[in-house]
Formats: sequence, structure tokens, C-alpha cells
Amino acid sequence: MLELVDIGRSFRVGPGEMHILRHLSLTVAAGELVSIMGGSGSGKTTLMNIIGLLDKPTSGQYRIDGQDVLRAEARELSRLRNRLIGFVFQSFFLLPRLNAWRNVALPLMYRGTPEAEARRRALAMLERVGLAERTEHMPAMLSGGQKQRVAIARALVGEPRVVLADEPTGALDPKVSQEIMDLFLELKREFGVLILIITHDPGVAAQCERQVVLANGALTETLRAC
Amino acid sequence: MLKRVLAEAVANLLASRQRSALALLGIVIGAAAVIAMLNVGAIARNETIRQFRQLGTDILMLRLDSDSGLGNFQLADVEALPGEVPMVTEVAPFVIGGGSVLHEGNVSNGSHLGVTADFASVARLRTQSGRFISNLDRYELYAVLGQGMAQQLSTPYAPVRVGSNLRIGRYVFTVIGILEPVLQSPMMPVDIDNTLFVSVPNVRRIMANPAMSMAVARIRPDAEAEAAVRQVERYFAPKIRDQRLSVLSARQLIAGMQNQMQLFTLLLGAVGAIALALGGVGVMNIMLVSIAERRREIGVRLAIGAEPGDIRTLFLAEAVILSVAGGIIGIFLGIGGAWFFAWLSGWEFVLSPSAVPLGAGVSAAVGIFFGFYPAVMASRLDPIEALRAE
Ligand SMILES: Nc1ncnc2c1ncn2[C@@H]1O[C@H](COP(=O)(O)OP(=O)(O)OP(=O)(O)O)[C@@H](O)[C@H]1O
Ligand SMILES: [Mg+2]
Repeated sequence: MLELVDIGRSFRVGPGEMHILRHLSLTVAAGELVSIMGGSGSGKTTLMNIIGLLDKPTSGQYRIDGQDVLRAEARELSRLRNRLIGFVFQSFFLLPRLNAWRNVALPLMYRGTPEAEARRRALAMLERVGLAERTEHMPAMLSGGQKQRVAIARALVGEPRVVLADEPTGALDPKVSQEIMDLFLELKREFGVLILIITHDPGVAAQCERQVVLANGALTETLRAC
Repeated sequence: MLKRVLAEAVANLLASRQRSALALLGIVIGAAAVIAMLNVGAIARNETIRQFRQLGTDILMLRLDSDSGLGNFQLADVEALPGEVPMVTEVAPFVIGGGSVLHEGNVSNGSHLGVTADFASVARLRTQSGRFISNLDRYELYAVLGQGMAQQLSTPYAPVRVGSNLRIGRYVFTVIGILEPVLQSPMMPVDIDNTLFVSVPNVRRIMANPAMSMAVARIRPDAEAEAAVRQVERYFAPKIRDQRLSVLSARQLIAGMQNQMQLFTLLLGAVGAIALALGGVGVMNIMLVSIAERRREIGVRLAIGAEPGDIRTLFLAEAVILSVAGGIIGIFLGIGGAWFFAWLSGWEFVLSPSAVPLGAGVSAAVGIFFGFYPAVMASRLDPIEALRAE
């Protein structure tokens, strides 16, 4: 489903160039759960931005379901992100002025879904992540784990094919971290969605069926089992 | 969709109330100035029309000056004017002076006019009681009073009415008529309401150096005012020797007043426009600050699938709502200001029909104009950079 071939990404820094990603290739099938590990500054977030269509590689090819997505222009990319991809960030990134269900409904709003239906689906998704009682809460009134659940509900409400999670448990304590991980595993089974989790936590990575490590700009697969 | 964007924009503005209020202020002042300008213009126009309603606009005021002071018309020359200049239908010369009038211990200082019987019809005066001066009244000590002067001289026990006696200098005059109230006209050299009228022969008794220096004339309603003025000047030229004649027509006076009004209106308008522009810059500034603060939010929205156009619409909506809210407050303030102006000057308040739509339209336009640049800036943010923002 995702196909990255020979990806390179470099940044111009002063007079020189920094090659963060070099000849990176990765293919992930629909419904797989993949962890990406790597040292700080190794380029994990850079890779996620490329996969998430927020950034374009300097070289290489990227296809989603066989479609060359590097050709798309800004508006088309917005639409692809909206339909295909859900994001989960380390520090949640909920909109502070919207309550829980409005945060969750946001991707549907940008898709033009009527408000009543968007609300119904947002409430259902919040119930699914265990927050049926917190739908009207503002983000500031939620705990870290609850915020991340709202963020996961937001990532999934639009029924995307891919969920990209950049250190989703990085800001949470181990117990809550495991609850979030369990939620990911359940949702993967239930929705058959492809999940990419960037993590520093070997415990989190161990629960994924595929584990890859990013080093020196390229990926090495450490294990393919389960 | 629009409803949702507006609701969200309003929520965002309310979230930073203080800042929104500050941005509002400039727009409020600008819109208020523009609205006040329009309304004061309308009030003044209305007042001009009102002032001339009584006297009409087909009127000329003639005035003669000599090197030593007031000039002196020959009564016969003036009375022959309608026959010689067909555009003029009626004319009434008069002697102008002033002084104090006593009645039962009350004193009134006003104008004194020595007039012929025609004055009442040319100046469109009506008596409330009694009659006006007639040409048969010569040295009889008769006086006609304007409404205001009559009231001023009245005491609770002795109201001034027909038959009352007034003392002017060494003479005692008998009131033979009291006029209906009259609005002061910019054409008239005196306030009719506060004037005492006597026959021309009597002026020697109450004025030190009487001179028949003025005349009021009525021209045909279809006559062209400037042509009439020229013809009157030509008629008098050989008759007045080295005296100087000036002829003022009501229509020219109105044109002059309107010109002046326009200048004043333009000035206020310029002030309003500058304030609106400053207000617009204020809105722009606030929007830029708000966008800088909300970079991460913009990043999240873009990641979630907002198109650049959606971001632009959101911020443009905030700017426009801010401006229109300011505009609406400004409209009320401006109308209030105009009302206050009318109250101060004693003029009738009228609401200019264009004020409200224009005020709302202009402030919305300011919002769009000054909100556009920040909104486009926001929509062009790189989602990655925006997400990385603290
Ligand atoms: N726009 C940019 N311009 C220049 N350098 C950049 C830019 N974006 C990222 N980098 C560099 O690329 C490298 C990789 O950054 P990235 O954020 O992908 O690392 P990461 O693997 O996610 O690290 P962490 O685990 O700390 O989150 C870093 O050295 C960073 O400084
Ligand atoms: Mg990172």
C-alpha cells in the first residue's frame, strides 16, 4: 500500500547540505503495524512528514496504492491527507479552543460532512476510545492519556488507510503508555488500518509485527514476525 | 460551511477578547466619523431647506453702501423697479436700525425696521393679531412686533397685545399688530422674530441717522437668479451715482452654503477615512500577531486536511467579523454624535438613509482589504514549520 523507493531528503544548512535520508526504501502493506526506532536526530520525524504528505523528498519515489503522490499539488495533497492519513503527535496537538468532539470532528468538517453527521461519528469514535463521558470537555480539562485518546479518535474518525504516530506515548507514563498501545492494537484489528509508530521505547516497538530502525539515513528491518 | 466558519471565527475572537477589543477601537472611531459626517451633512442640508422654506428661494436682498457708511435709495427708484425689470415682481425698501423698547419695566433690545406696507408680502410675514403697517400710517405712532419681542416685553400681569403702549426713546408707540413666529432666515439682515416695525416716516423719531439702505425683492419663480441680479444692477447703475450696490440672491447664498457644507463634510470624511485606514492597519496587526501565535494550530489543521483556502477563509472571516463589529458600534456612535450635534445647534435630527449601509459596507471592505494579507500569509505557512512552532 505504501511504497517508498530510494528516498533522499537533504536540508540546506548555511553553505552546505545535510543529507538526513539517503536511499531509503520501505514498503508497507495495508493493515500492518510497523514501529520505527532510531536515535534522536536520525530523521524519523522527517520520514513521517514525507509519508504523511506534509513534506516532499529531494529524490526518490513515493506511491500510495500505486499512485505517484509526489506529483500532487498543495490542494490535492490536502485532500489526500484528509482521506488517507490520520496523524497522532507526541504532544497531542488538540486545538485548545474546541471541545473534545469538535476536535475529533475536524477532519470530517474539512471534508464537507454535514455537522450533524460529523458530530454523530465523532461521538461514536470517542465512545470507541473510551471517552463517552468526556465529549464536551475542553482539551485543557483532560489528562495526557485522555488527550491522546481524543487525538487517536481524531486520527481515525475519517476512516483513513494509514495512521502515523510520532512518539505517541513519549509524553505519557508507562501505565498510560501501555493503555494507548493496547488501543492501537485493538483499532488495528478492528479497522484494518495501517499503523506506523515512531518510538524510542523498545517495549512499544516489541508489540509491533514489524520493527524497523532508522540509522544513517536508511532503514534496516530488525524483525518480521508475530 | 459558512455558518461553521463564522461560528469558529467568533469563538476565536472571543477567546482573546482584550486584543479583539483593541483592534476594534480604530474601526469604531473611523466608522463613527464617517457616519457622523454623513448624518451631519444630511442634518445641515435639511436645516438649509427648512430655513428657506418660509422665505422661499426666489428672493433678492439689495444693499446700498456709500463711502460715509450706509447708502440711501430713492423711494421712487425702488418702487419703479418691478415695472422696469420684469423679472422682479415685488420690492420693499426698508430702513434698518435698532435699540431698546420698554414695556412695563421690561426692556427688549432688538432691531427696528422702517418699512412700507409691501414688506409683509415680500418677506411673507403674517400677523397673528392686529394688522401690519399700511401706507396710510405715516406719523401715527404705530408699531408692529415680532413674536419673540412681544413675548419678551410681556409681563405676567400685562401681556403685550394690540393696543399695548411701548416706550421708544421719547415716544410712546401703540402696538397695532403682532407677527406669527418666523424662522430666522440667512437672507434677512435681522431676526424678524426680534424686530419692531414702524412706518418709514417714523424712523426719524427712533433712529439717529436713518437711511433707506436696503430693499428686499421677489423675483418670478422661473427667473434665473443671476440674470435677475445683473438686470437689477444695470437698472440701478445710473441712479445711485457713487454709491455701491450689492445684490444677493437666495439661490446664490444656498449654493455658497452648500459649498461650505461640502467642504466641511469632505474634511470629516477625510478624518473618517484616515481613522478607518488606521483601524484597518490595527486589524492587520492583530491578525498577524494572532497568526504567529496560532502557527501550531494552523499546522494541525493543514495536517488534518484543511486546504490553504480553508485557512485563508478562517482568518479572513475573523478580520471581517472584527471590522464589521467595529463598524456596527461605530454606526451607533456616529448616529449618536450627529444627534448630539443636532441637539447642540438646535437643528432638526434626520437620519441619512445611506449612513447605515455605507458604514457597514465600508467597514466590511476595510476588514477584507486589511485582513487579506495576513490570511494569505497564514494559508501559505509550511505545515511542518507550523507544527514545529512552540
Ligand atoms: N527544515 C530543516 N532544516 C534543516 N535541518 C532540518 C530541518 N528539519 C530537520 N532538520 C534536521 O534533520 C535532522 C532530523 O530531524 P528529525 O526531526 O527528523 O529527527 P528525529 O529522528 O525525529 O529526532 P527526535 O527523535 O529527536 O524526534 C535533525 O538533525 C534536524 O536538525
Ligand atoms: Mg522526531
